Amino acid sequence: MPFDQPSASLALSLLTPERFRIKSAAVKSDGVVLSTVLAELSRRHLPSGGWAALRSSVQASLETACLATLAIGSEDSDEVRLAQEFIVRVQNPNGSWPAFFGDDQDGAWVTSLAAIALRDVATAISARSSGIHWLMKCQGKEANWFWRWKFLTADRHVRFDPDKFGWPWVPDTCSWVVPTAFAILALSQVPCSCGGLEEIPLRIDHGIEMLMDRTCPGGGWNAGNGVVYGSTVAPHPDDTAIALLALHNRPQHLVVQASLKWLERTAQTLTAPWSLAWAILALAAHAREVGPLIASLMALPDLSGNDDTCTLALVCLAVDYPRSLAALGVNL
Amino acid sequence: MIPSRRSFLIGSAALAAGASVSVPFLLPKYHLDRRAKRSRVAILNVDQYSQRIDEVLASGLRLFRIEVQGKTVVLKPNLVDYAPGNAINTHPTLVLAAAESFRSMGAKCVIVAEGPGHQRDTQLVLSESGYEESLRTEGIRFVDFNRDELMRTQLRASYMGMKSLWLPRTVLEADFLVSMPKIKAHHWAGVTLSMKNMLGTVPGARYGWPKNILHWRGIQESILDVCATVPVHFVIADGIIAMEGNGPLNGTPRPLGKIVLADDPIAADATCARLMGFEPDRIAHIREGAKFLGNVSPSLIDQVGEALTPPTTPFDVVPEFRHLYGA
Repeated sequence: MPFDQPSASLALSLLTPERFRIKSAAVKSDGVVLSTVLAELSRRHLPSGGWAALRSSVQASLETACLATLAIGSEDSDEVRLAQEFIVRVQNPNGSWPAFFGDDQDGAWVTSLAAIALRDVATAISARSSGIHWLMKCQGKEANWFWRWKFLTADRHVRFDPDKFGWPWVPDTCSWVVPTAFAILALSQVPCSCGGLEEIPLRIDHGIEMLMDRTCPGGGWNAGNGVVYGSTVAPHPDDTAIALLALHNRPQHLVVQASLKWLERTAQTLTAPWSLAWAILALAAHAREVGPLIASLMALPDLSGNDDTCTLALVCLAVDYPRSLAALGVNL
Repeated sequence: MIPSRRSFLIGSAALAAGASVSVPFLLPKYHLDRRAKRSRVAILNVDQYSQRIDEVLASGLRLFRIEVQGKTVVLKPNLVDYAPGNAINTHPTLVLAAAESFRSMGAKCVIVAEGPGHQRDTQLVLSESGYEESLRTEGIRFVDFNRDELMRTQLRASYMGMKSLWLPRTVLEADFLVSMPKIKAHHWAGVTLSMKNMLGTVPGARYGWPKNILHWRGIQESILDVCATVPVHFVIADGIIAMEGNGPLNGTPRPLGKIVLADDPIAADATCARLMGFEPDRIAHIREGAKFLGNVSPSLIDQVGEALTPPTTPFDVVPEFRHLYGA
């Protein structure tokens, strides 16, 4: 039974007309909007079992498939089973996942998301395990001594400490905030550090150090460049939220506190559902009040008409945040 | 005239910088020649973003022989991120004016498309930069290149050392592709003009945010490979308020008061570079692109509209690109 953590099994069960069973008190008042968005998500489900990133596309995207699988999340849904089978089926032979069906490039962020989406799926234990092993081998290019030396001596326009590395989007590139945060979340869900995975805690610690190092002055994160050529680069709400999710058990850290303040302030002005949904998840993970933000999200016009299917999935995850956070390994 | 020690040192540094970007280009790495016998560039004077842009642009476009009747036109603005008061993005007023012009010329469909390189939330950038409401009001479809359906595409040049890239269906199927850059100095590429603008077609959903693989493969090289593979049919460059210094995000707004139109991206970028006070031959992707993608020499460019007057004070650039100023 995927992601059904005790903390998320709240009293309310809302059975929508479209067969979805959502478990969370948070969805009660917004059930109609949510069921419409979920129904739209269902309509966009491809016969292959995945979801395309955009409504106009039929090319199944892994990030969308993983988030939609988590969003639907009902244990007795054929749709979820089909989606889980799809995710397993498109895994690369080396254990990583590609960004979309038909591609063969390793994608670190989608490998992390796939590992999260397949947690507790009995038929996917082997697939998930090989994904985790691949993640453990994957690291930003600055982890190599030569590039670390170059960044320390010759190429210093971007302010960062190359000794602190995490995960790249794709191999042979630098570490960036979002793939590192997703990898931390995925590795944190591995129940034991054994069988070749002894270094998981070390990699998580390195990843956390890297996130702390890449913060923007004043708090928050963007893709991973806080200062370039001496100029401060502004943080982004979604990147900040994803990093804060990965740092949910570091609430006292000054960087986390500054970033939470920035996100709380910024979230109130957001009108883009993707960023607002990520902000809700992150603020909820840090025990902040998110009721008004959920109301703002639900009040956005034509949510289910959003062309971006990944955004639809994320909206569902944000509204049903207790269950979603449990799925991400964040216990409230 | 005997050069001073200072000018000799500056010249030597410029030559060394030029040589460092030239060496990888010694052997031909392109498999096509898209150069026209002559190119046409129009410089239009516009001092502010207002409704007047509609008529100025429409009359500017009439200086060209443009056939878009029944075609799908894709407008590719430079949409990177949003910071209030900064000149980061192509102004939506200009993009809407272009859409209106191409519609009135009989285009079957006009699409605005972009794949921001830093921001995953394209809708947030659209919303904050004023695009979302304008596009909705005008009924213009927007496609996010970062998440569009992708097609593996053989590269038509080999500067990066990659055989193919996954590129968005929308850009590959465009009948008429218009690159609409914001005229800016750029801390990694020297300038970001119509050619550099095409890196926005490389999808983040495949290559990440930023599209870091392009940095590792070489920005100048990536620009050339992408521009060789995705033909730009027309350029409308926004230089009304341009950017100098630490672009593309943290530079200083620089009122230039120009829109540059061209039927050749190399000629467009060479002209924009001259308007910025740079020597186009010192920008590696323009110099190399002139061998197979378009014309850089003023003798091969029909200059119409306003005169090309270099600025009294050249655009500021980060120290690594001071050699762009020339002698």
